[in-house]
Amino acid sequence: MKALLRVLDGATEALNLLGSVLIVGLMVLIGADVIGRGIFASPIPGVPEMVSLSIVAIVFLQAPAALRAGRLTRSDAILTRIIRANPRAARWLESAMDLAAIAVIAVIFNATLPLFQRSWVRNDFVGAIGDFTAPTWPVKFVILVGTGVLVFQFAARILRRHMRAQNDPV
Amino acid sequence: MTPFEIGLLALAGMGLLVFFGLYVSIALMLCSFFGVWAIRGSADLAGTLLALAANDTLASYHFGVVPLFVLMGFIVSETGMGRDAYDVANAVFRRVRGGLGVGTVGANAVFAAITGISIASAAVFTKIAIPQMLRHGYTRRFAVGVVAGSSVLGMLIPPSLLLILYGVLTEQSIGHLFIAGVGPGLLLALIFGLGVVAAATLMPNRVQPQQSREFDAISASDMLAKGLPIAVLIGFVLGGIYLGWFTPVEAGAMGAIGALVIGLVKRRLSFAGFRKVLVETGLVTAAVCFLIIAAQMYSRMLAFSGLPAGFGALAADAQLGLWGILAIYVVAVILLGMILDSSSIMLVLVPLMLPVLQPFDVDLIWFGIVTVIAIEIGLLTPPFGISVYVIKSTLDDPSITLGDIFAGAAPFALMMLVVLGLVLAFPAIAVGLL
Repeated sequence: MKALLRVLDGATEALNLLGSVLIVGLMVLIGADVIGRGIFASPIPGVPEMVSLSIVAIVFLQAPAALRAGRLTRSDAILTRIIRANPRAARWLESAMDLAAIAVIAVIFNATLPLFQRSWVRNDFVGAIGDFTAPTWPVKFVILVGTGVLVFQFAARILRRHMRAQNDPV
Repeated sequence: MTPFEIGLLALAGMGLLVFFGLYVSIALMLCSFFGVWAIRGSADLAGTLLALAANDTLASYHFGVVPLFVLMGFIVSETGMGRDAYDVANAVFRRVRGGLGVGTVGANAVFAAITGISIASAAVFTKIAIPQMLRHGYTRRFAVGVVAGSSVLGMLIPPSLLLILYGVLTEQSIGHLFIAGVGPGLLLALIFGLGVVAAATLMPNRVQPQQSREFDAISASDMLAKGLPIAVLIGFVLGGIYLGWFTPVEAGAMGAIGALVIGLVKRRLSFAGFRKVLVETGLVTAAVCFLIIAAQMYSRMLAFSGLPAGFGALAADAQLGLWGILAIYVVAVILLGMILDSSSIMLVLVPLMLPVLQPFDVDLIWFGIVTVIAIEIGLLTPPFGISVYVIKSTLDDPSITLGDIFAGAAPFALMMLVVLGLVLAFPAIAVGLL
């Protein structure tokens, strides 16, 4: 089980790295466009399209890492008090909330699947033919990967919580 | 049940879930899903709505600003420009009563102009300014209060993540919002500075019981070396937007590149440091954008329920008038600020408010500035002011309690209330530069 969790964390970190590379790419791309336009009067075609596609990818590549690092926004003041008063109840409450998260992210995964298939089959693209075009399916694929890993990370939270509780009974 | 009642129920359910500590984004998604399901009677439709929001919300050029300005902010922090700003500001205010306090406010105002995240300011100045002030005999309560209070400048003085969020949420020009933030931001910094001087003069026991005037004077060339890069970066980014050279997205990219160049020239950016910056940027971007996606789902659910229109009708029936509505809104924002972080408050409340404001033909740029100030007041007030918790956890000093920080920040919250009143009464403070 621990090996599986390590694989999951490794995958999460790899996605995070990929997302970071995309952010740097975005900076370089826009910088090159501004300088090219300003100095050489030759802008790079398709920059707005590439920005809009990559920002979606960046977020879904990084979301699992943000969850793992405890960075997704929450208000834990009340929860901290419950943990202090009754750790066992707090554990079950947190696990119930993680289950709810799994359910709603799984809904998004399922409903994105047909969007991906349609984009793949029809070869949908953004941009204008002759100028710049980019296919939309890779981004939909990244959303599937991101939400998929997110589901596993939420499941891992439940697993870790109860494994910890067994080693260290309250 | 009518859609309106379902909407109210979803809202209440969401509040309850967030209160017990569910991730805000997940709570928004859940209540949207069940809300639409209940209103339209189709789980498939509700699921499709979520997926469409996840796919389309961020797919716009304008969202490029989020990672780029966050990246710029973290590079600027990593390369020690916060410390530089602090040194310069202290040299300038060296002879003033409560000089280190005024210096902290000034440094925060300058730093705010190159970074857009309050939390970054709070963390940086907790590490730099608090030990310095304690060494020079300032009271703990005052030292933490100044840092907590002035950290809110980061969200008002552009570039600001919160203004960016507001811009994408209400489809207002981010460039205009940035420029509108300058006046109120400077006014707030000025009032903070005057407040610090007044406090240091009128009640020295609460500020600096033992005066010590051993300031390390810095040479003119040193000051130039520290101040010039920051000044250039500010001029480049804000000037570029103001003069129309750059779109805000481009200004973000160029600002990040500029900060990177400064860091490399000054040899202050290691490869390991840059990697850390990238990881942090990714995590903050993901957390904020995930929230934006969830908020989009939520506002689509609200549209199905007719809740905002219903509130608008209620407000019209109650004959509250614009000022009555704004008063209720500001109180609600400040109250929410006690349990939620700034982006969540904005994403939850603003979609509810827009339809209510529509009949009054309100300037939405001005309304954005009002919203940001009100939100930031909430972040300084107990029981759950987020800025205060950041300072507490960065400080890692058990002798300074949360109570100390809240008490120290309270006068600053009051001064913000004054500025909020001024901006409400004289909109030109915000929109005069446009």
